[in-house]
Amino acid sequence: MVGNDIVDLKEAQNASSWQRPRFLDKLFTDIEQTYIENSNNPFTTVWRLWSMKEAAYKLFIQQNPDRFYNPKKFECRIEKNSGIVKFQTFRCYVETKITSDYVLSEARCIQNNLTSEVLKFEDKNQKMQSVMLKRMLMNALSETLKIPKTALIFRVSKLGTPSVSYNNKIINVSLTHHGNYGAFALGV
Amino acid sequence: MNNEALIAKLKAIVAPYIQDEEAFKNLSEDTDFVKDLKINSANLVDIILDIEDEFDIRLENEDMEQMLDVKSAMNIVTSKLNN
Repeated sequence: MVGNDIVDLKEAQNASSWQRPRFLDKLFTDIEQTYIENSNNPFTTVWRLWSMKEAAYKLFIQQNPDRFYNPKKFECRIEKNSGIVKFQTFRCYVETKITSDYVLSEARCIQNNLTSEVLKFEDKNQKMQSVMLKRMLMNALSETLKIPKTALIFRVSKLGTPSVSYNNKIINVSLTHHGNYGAFALGV
Repeated sequence: MNNEALIAKLKAIVAPYIQDEEAFKNLSEDTDFVKDLKINSANLVDIILDIEDEFDIRLENEDMEQMLDVKSAMNIVTSKLNN
């Protein structure tokens, strides 16, 4: 199983204001706020922690299907590019990649390298981005599994969790897009 | 505040963050912030802070937890205003 999340840093700069009063308190624990304060680049650290929480939440709801919004309770610990996120008794490993354009996190139950494929979109149209991401995902999966695309069936659960099925097998996948960037990961 | 006035206020608050115009035009109690309005989850916290400012209330973590649709937002605001 895999959960991923990408943050387009330019989009985050324009669309969110992390310095507004109470913003950090709503999302981040005391320890996480210390990471942010001590960081050379607080802005990037804010979005790194956010993407870790999102990726972990996406993984968590695959195991516990229920939607909710409680990012502060997904508690992050970070060291270099790796991190651990805990929520109640749930715990996962998160790898993060930071570039000048985006922050990308990928959560798994066992420690693993970051595998997400990143796409840059010219257009911010969400529907178009979803279609393109899905197409790239299906191509990649078809190649990895050596199975024709026509045999793969893409599904989205009521909670919004995507998966692909073939021959009665189900593969968990994760898709994310924000601003001009998108990424997909295969749970194989 | 009656329901219509409350929905109108919430509609104005979410307007800057919506990514689906059609769903926004038809906004009702049943509208889901993420599934219908396609609001990025990173902006949900902005909406929560905007609601706090607009109604001069404070929302706790537990209040935020179910704030995924218009109806839940209405219930939370109403209960806070009546306290």
